[in-house]
Amino acid sequence: MTLETAPQTSPTTIAQLVGHRTTETFALLDEESKREIRRALLQAVCIPGYQVPFGSREMPVARGWGSGGLQVTLACVGADDAVKVIDQGDDEGVNAVNLRRLVTMSTGIDETTEVDEATLIQSRHRIPEDDMNENHILILQVPVPEPLRGIERDIRELARMHSEADYSRMWVSLYEDKVRNGVITQSTGYPCLVASRYIVATTPIPRWDIPRLHQSKFLTLFGAGREKRVYAIPPYTDVEPLTFEDVPFEVESADGATCRLCGSSDSFLVEMPGKQESWSCSDTAWCRRQRNT
Amino acid sequence: MTMTMNKTLPILDVKNVSKSFTLHNIDGRTVTALEDASFVVHPGEHVSLAGSSGAGKSTLLRLIYRTYSITAGSVKFRLTNDEWVDIAQLSDAEVIALRGREIGYVSQFLHAQPRRSVIDLVARAGVSRGMSIADAHEQAGYSLARLGISRTLWDVHTSVLSGGEKQRVNIAAGLISPPRLLLLDEPVSALDPENRERAIEVIADLSNQGVAVLAVFHDLDAISRLASRIILMSRGNVVTDGPVDQVLPQLTPGDVQP
Amino acid sequence: MTSIHVPSPIIQVRNLGKYYGNFDPAMIERTGPEHGTARDHVTASIVAAWGVNFDVAAGEALGIVGESGSGKSTVLRCIAGDVAASTGDVRLTPFEDGNVNILDLDPSARRQLRINTLSVVYQDPAEGLALGVTAGGNIADPLTAAGWRNFGAIRDRARELLARTEVPLDRMDDIVRNFSGGMRQRVQIARALANKPPILLLDEPTTGLDASVASGVLDLIRQLLEELQVAAIVVSHDFGVIEMLTERCLVMQHGRVVEDALTDQLLEDPHHPYSQKLVAAART
Repeated sequence: MTLETAPQTSPTTIAQLVGHRTTETFALLDEESKREIRRALLQAVCIPGYQVPFGSREMPVARGWGSGGLQVTLACVGADDAVKVIDQGDDEGVNAVNLRRLVTMSTGIDETTEVDEATLIQSRHRIPEDDMNENHILILQVPVPEPLRGIERDIRELARMHSEADYSRMWVSLYEDKVRNGVITQSTGYPCLVASRYIVATTPIPRWDIPRLHQSKFLTLFGAGREKRVYAIPPYTDVEPLTFEDVPFEVESADGATCRLCGSSDSFLVEMPGKQESWSCSDTAWCRRQRNT
Repeated sequence: MTMTMNKTLPILDVKNVSKSFTLHNIDGRTVTALEDASFVVHPGEHVSLAGSSGAGKSTLLRLIYRTYSITAGSVKFRLTNDEWVDIAQLSDAEVIALRGREIGYVSQFLHAQPRRSVIDLVARAGVSRGMSIADAHEQAGYSLARLGISRTLWDVHTSVLSGGEKQRVNIAAGLISPPRLLLLDEPVSALDPENRERAIEVIADLSNQGVAVLAVFHDLDAISRLASRIILMSRGNVVTDGPVDQVLPQLTPGDVQP
Repeated sequence: MTSIHVPSPIIQVRNLGKYYGNFDPAMIERTGPEHGTARDHVTASIVAAWGVNFDVAAGEALGIVGESGSGKSTVLRCIAGDVAASTGDVRLTPFEDGNVNILDLDPSARRQLRINTLSVVYQDPAEGLALGVTAGGNIADPLTAAGWRNFGAIRDRARELLARTEVPLDRMDDIVRNFSGGMRQRVQIARALANKPPILLLDEPTTGLDASVASGVLDLIRQLLEELQVAAIVVSHDFGVIEMLTERCLVMQHGRVVEDALTDQLLEDPHHPYSQKLVAAART
């Protein structure tokens, strides 16, 4: 990250304000905003899994469409960064394309679809199949940052539960789930214990990706724009999906399924739209590379 | 090492005991139930309290057990280490400790009993007085058999028993691994002649075990067979205190009227 | 001091007091049984409980009896931590060897006490249970709070407790809202016993239940108290409950303890005029 200095003259008319925003700031946000987000992110990294409140700004993207992830990316980006944006693993999804364009247009930095060329990877719903390392920051778009939301609605009680690490009601809900359904049924947003302290919502990545977070080499940042929270999983941090000792954590699978395009059976597969039993890799860039090598 | 108790030393020494009740909710009046009672009881003695209704017999038993608090006097009890304690002055916790092992009370009514099986009830009483669970169960069976409670009833809950059966279970529980001082308040009144016999035999055995017994019976025959001494009371006072052969002939039917 | 061996106390309460409103030292003298009220006419404060002292040993159940407004439930709730006491010193031997006044602990530490050391059974099962959770789940709650992470072991322990409290095992996975009052109370008891607490507080445990149901629950409690040798405090306005469960008892009136006696003595030879009145009323 590099710090750009803001222009010296302050805008006094709407026209100047708009002009100020689109041509003179680096990465859409003014420096004070970026500073505030970075402070929040630093706190988040210092307290793995803790949800840090931040003043979520008005973005050109509506709430619920990745405004949180976007703000995190914009706060982190510097002139030397290269950004990859995916939505459900696909670089070419409409939202991914728009978000990527917003970042590159307001910064002039490179964009890429290849993980090993990127430094910042913003994603909704997937972690890329390729291995990432200390040079990468993964930024996840989060709709609901509160893992206990289904269990408790009072914000003071939620704050207390996290501060006292009193997660017994979460355990009871897992117990009830297993009793009612025979298995723990959470699919996306599976609750995980980070650094043996805070429970986080890993929304909305699938179970498949959760083991990738454990002791990862890369930093993962989570941004929730509508709920105005950020949290972080620093590199080399323990991330344990919540489950009972005798109920193993299972990832999604479909017997015998392979990617129709590249033949892979050990990547996260999704059913092709309109075609039953026809699977393809969720991570399109990865899949393309398998085919080309 | 077992403590051998000096059989000539009394185990209970009641001195100048009086009991009055102040009835705040009527008119604050005072009713005197017992006045200036004094006597001693030795281990192995069976002392009968006789006298007509209202004489103060049950009051005396309750005072010794501390169900009633004393108004004046002292109720001294000798512990196994020969130390004397005044039951009337003990703390509640000390009384509870004594009642567990040293002093027992068998009354006429088996009230507020848990839904427990017959043998369990008796065995538990034994365990509370220091028996092992196995020994207590064995002894419980033996006691119940002696009191004529057939084996088929041993595993039923006490709530389904007849009044007489409940009372015999009560006696068995009160006498298993007997405490050193046993207070009996009309223990056989509810029993038919045959079972009354069995109960009297079991109670008679207590003296052989060195247990000191202070008992109220409304039954001249039971008194004559069990007592070594009789204390005759009337209207809250001790009137006579002497060996059974001397006092028994003095008793009138009115003295044993329930 | 005699040589009679008396078990050492597990619960020690000294000078426990709770008032609502402003504090004025003189208000203590203006309230209580002699004044016939717990409310101070000068400050309008209420002295809900004051100057309460008692000990409870392991295997002992202490009763606290009184009418509504006597302060008995206040005392229980102060010890439980549901209400913040105004003053007092409460020590529990299983916690820091009795060297810490639990009233000085912060809410988080009090909550910890409630997991392993002290359990409460409330008059209203809804207060001690999550009605939307299954019977087994309600028991899983204190177990997981104590660190249990094995699903099979949790189920086994839940079954054991439900069997002991005579809840049909085929209802283990039913949500508690669908249970009758008596059954809910049994589940509450099972849950309270999950982590084998050495101390149990019972607040009117059978009030509100039908008589036949209440006697079954009472009997269960009595058996459990004997078996588990916990130190228990039983609050009730019902002498039948006190008689069945306790050997010692306090009588409270207008926030103060007016009599402290062996239970059988209280029932047969009550001293304080108020105790006599209560006992006489119970006997009719």
